Amino acid sequence: MSNYIPTIGVEVHVELKTKTKIFSNARNGYGQMANSLTNVIDLGYPGTLPTLNEEVINLAIRAATICNCKIQKVMHFDRKNYFYPDIPKNYQITQNDTPIGYDGYVEITKENGETKKVFIEEMHIEEDTCKSAHRKDKTLLDFNRAGVPLIEIVTKPCMSSGEEVKLYLEKLRELLSFGDISDCKIEEGSMRADVNVSIRKEEKDPLGVKAEIKNIGSISNAKLGVEKEIERQTKIYDRGETFKPQTRRFDDKVNDTILMRVKETGNDYRYFPEPDIPYVVITEEMIEEAKKGIPMLPDERRKKYTEKGILEANANKLVQNRSLSDFFNTLLEEEIDFKVASNILLGDISAYLNREEKEITETNLTKERFIELVKVYQEGTITSKNLKEMLDTILESKDSIQDIMKEIGIENISDDSELRNIIKEILKKNPESVSDYQNGHDRAIKFLMGQVMKETKGKANPRLANDILLEELKG
Amino acid sequence: MEDKLTREEVLHVANLARIKLTEEEIEKYQVELKKLLTDVEKINEVEGYDDDILIACWDQNTELRKDVEGEMLDPKQVVENAPRHAGNYIEVPVVIGESEGA
Amino acid sequence: MKYLNRPLQEVHELLKKKEIKPIDLVEEAFENIEANKELNAFITLNKEEAIQRAKELEDQEVDNLLFGIPIALKDNIITEGLRTTCGSHILDNFVPIYNATIVDKLLEKKMIIIGKTNMDQFGMGSSSRTSYYGAPKNPWDLNKIAGGSSGGSAAAISSREVMLAIGSDTGGSIRQPSSYTGIVGMKPTYGRVSRYGLVAFASSLDQLGPMTKNVYENAVLLNAIVGKDEKDLTSAKREEEDFTRLIGEDIKGMKIAIPNFLMGDIVSEEVKDKVKETIKCLEENGATVDYIDIKYIENAMTLYQIIAMGEASSNLARFDGIRYGFQADNIKNIEDVYLETRGQGFGEEVKRRIMVGSYLLSGENAKVYYNKALSIRDDMRKEFKKAFETYDLIIGPTTVTTAYDLTDPMDDPRKSFMDDVLVIPVNMAGLPGMNIPVGFDQNHMPIGMQIIGDSFEEAKMYKLASFIEKELNLDLMPGGEK
Repeated sequence: MSNYIPTIGVEVHVELKTKTKIFSNARNGYGQMANSLTNVIDLGYPGTLPTLNEEVINLAIRAATICNCKIQKVMHFDRKNYFYPDIPKNYQITQNDTPIGYDGYVEITKENGETKKVFIEEMHIEEDTCKSAHRKDKTLLDFNRAGVPLIEIVTKPCMSSGEEVKLYLEKLRELLSFGDISDCKIEEGSMRADVNVSIRKEEKDPLGVKAEIKNIGSISNAKLGVEKEIERQTKIYDRGETFKPQTRRFDDKVNDTILMRVKETGNDYRYFPEPDIPYVVITEEMIEEAKKGIPMLPDERRKKYTEKGILEANANKLVQNRSLSDFFNTLLEEEIDFKVASNILLGDISAYLNREEKEITETNLTKERFIELVKVYQEGTITSKNLKEMLDTILESKDSIQDIMKEIGIENISDDSELRNIIKEILKKNPESVSDYQNGHDRAIKFLMGQVMKETKGKANPRLANDILLEELKG
Repeated sequence: MEDKLTREEVLHVANLARIKLTEEEIEKYQVELKKLLTDVEKINEVEGYDDDILIACWDQNTELRKDVEGEMLDPKQVVENAPRHAGNYIEVPVVIGESEGA
Repeated sequence: MKYLNRPLQEVHELLKKKEIKPIDLVEEAFENIEANKELNAFITLNKEEAIQRAKELEDQEVDNLLFGIPIALKDNIITEGLRTTCGSHILDNFVPIYNATIVDKLLEKKMIIIGKTNMDQFGMGSSSRTSYYGAPKNPWDLNKIAGGSSGGSAAAISSREVMLAIGSDTGGSIRQPSSYTGIVGMKPTYGRVSRYGLVAFASSLDQLGPMTKNVYENAVLLNAIVGKDEKDLTSAKREEEDFTRLIGEDIKGMKIAIPNFLMGDIVSEEVKDKVKETIKCLEENGATVDYIDIKYIENAMTLYQIIAMGEASSNLARFDGIRYGFQADNIKNIEDVYLETRGQGFGEEVKRRIMVGSYLLSGENAKVYYNKALSIRDDMRKEFKKAFETYDLIIGPTTVTTAYDLTDPMDDPRKSFMDDVLVIPVNMAGLPGMNIPVGFDQNHMPIGMQIIGDSFEEAKMYKLASFIEKELNLDLMPGGEK
């Protein structure tokens, strides 16, 4: 196979996290009973008119800011006219002439540490379509999604590999979800990506024929899809053949892209300015307000975490879970061992959250209780085994850490004299181990500690037991 | 200039507007549409205007709506007026392919 | 005629003194409609509901001038629970599930909706003959058109079937039928009245307005329907005002202009003569009247054709038989749903206009036609504004002729635009315009004069209109009853 230069551009639609729809005050919701989240505007009833949701503009400005876009000062909406059962008015209100954001970029970091700017051509606001469920002989329409606010983010054709596409999508998802702009859940359709791929022999050649890959189910599939598509196009050109511009989809069962349809020449969308919505003026105050609403973004979080002594890998992991990261942010001013704290959060607590499919905010773990937990763990009052035993109760009940420790019988072990007596007994029973230790075999400590734990049924404070053991051994 | 549109031209605009025409209508519209399209060409004779546009006859800017939920329809109301429906869904003959838009 | 031909204030006093009840007015309205059945002014009557409402109002305090007064609404105004057809087959069975803002406002005033009036299909036409439900007739001569597209409302007022009516005006559809039937019709400034619940024809031009037998009642009805509506982004925020406040004032010193275009060769001599007589009367009473030119006014019709047909092609796309309305029954696949439903559901004029509109927006055409039309429209609006720096009001004839025969041919697609050539510029500039009857032709068909005001200057227009009304003192009851 020859080498070609791939040129790739990406269009991403994300649903905005607003309470209501873009042009009506019906609820913006997901997973509800069919047609229960609509009003006459969403259904395109005769005589209805759009209003414009303030929060949509706010979030779009926020997104434009995060993606380093210039912001349109005076904008309007346009109608995109086409007949399809999923658009109730048979036109979609979108922005064709005056996208809210333009000329921006998102920076990605490649595996080799190199950074690259992915240029954003434009970012515009539009309304989502209704959801259709296809049956054998009919299609069923649910208008709950009709009118949900979207922003579409269009890159310049500036990427050149599946890996770059993956990094861009990951970065965008991270920025938009941390910016509280969108949930960015690909599986629920709140983030959707279409990728345009073409290849050419040399930089000086004109761009090759474009294939658009739609309906991408995950970011890793986006990467695979692009790679497979480059392979497919390469083979075609190598055979001396060519192909028509087309729309394809990536099927992970066959691990390849599949033709959906060949693009007809020029879809005629009959765009014209939406006369029902006069000009929208974006003021400096609105931009300032939107900027104020941007929460701490991932890069800054990572920086803060590593400054607190957390391993880079752990810092990254924390940032990947937004609510965990938010929770962690509340601790940053506290005097605790952040390493221990991050280990607990990313270890047992994450395991619990994954198993229960919960967010940390859905548990009973408060900042105060967590700090105490870190403390008793750090002091060795509880072992990692204890922690595992206690964790469900900690997250599910509101009892204090002390009470929970009592419940499972961890509190008595800190009694110095009682523990000393037990240890003395053990040393008596295991003279070989004692002499092993005295002969420099540190391993013996482990064995002896095991005996202590066995004797106390694991209730001994490990650090205390360790200290006493050493004292007694030194005699 | 021909004083009527070709059959294909009429069928093209009929398809853009998703209107099925009878044979009789096609012939009639070949003449009638041509008259209207000749009329609108007069816009090219207008001179001296500036390129600013005003999208509505109207120089007030859009006032934004607060993001507060209002009343919604009962799904029964939604399907009530629809010629075909199944349960809470509005029904159409099976649609093959994908939406062009979002 | 018992009450509906009397002045509103008189009927109001009778209601207030409990000498009559709302039900008396409602019964008279339905009697009149029955007696004038031939006029075909209504598509749907709201009889049961109206009678019930009249009875409910009996014990309530008569708290405003419009209390208990029967009103008719053009059938492109959305009424909850009351069939709304827009004069088209495609909405034959359509019973809306919400109310237009204007309907809520009228109901708040305790008015009684008598029915939905006949109209050109989706407002497209100038004689109401494109109605799927047959054309309404002119009460002055049943062989003549009532004009359009608000022909039903015009006929209903002219014949005194009801006391007040609402029409809509995209390119003259209130003023032109008002002129043909000898009534007062006002198209307010774009943005004055909420369009929420008015089925859109051309969004940037459509406006609702009152149609009445006299000027005062028109102003009172306008008082009730104006106001910023948060559901309509194009509605205007204005301070509250009483549109009757200048009625009866002296017109001395008023500066009035007539655009030469409105008195050009296209206008019949009979109509011009009546307007000139009126001008003379105004001058005799201390007003000055100058002939002026307004740049681009002669292009208004072309701009209108492009903007109105372009917007209509998009606005009417939603009528596809999926969510509401008529769906053709010979449907095999999704394409049929569109093609057959729209092919069978829309009338000829509608199909013609939305096909042309689709063409005008297709490909690069939107830039060549639509956007260019918006640019010129804006310039024309500025030219009007300039004229209003010097003049209080602009006047001219409303129509080029009086009402013509119902049997006149309909085969020229330009005809319906030509009928409105004098009224269209007002919509293109977003200005208020009204019709005031100024006399009759040799066949005793009404002739109307148009008054055009600067934006939001309706009160000033009523001042001039009421002066003319008083001076001319015409008998405007078809058949004569004064």
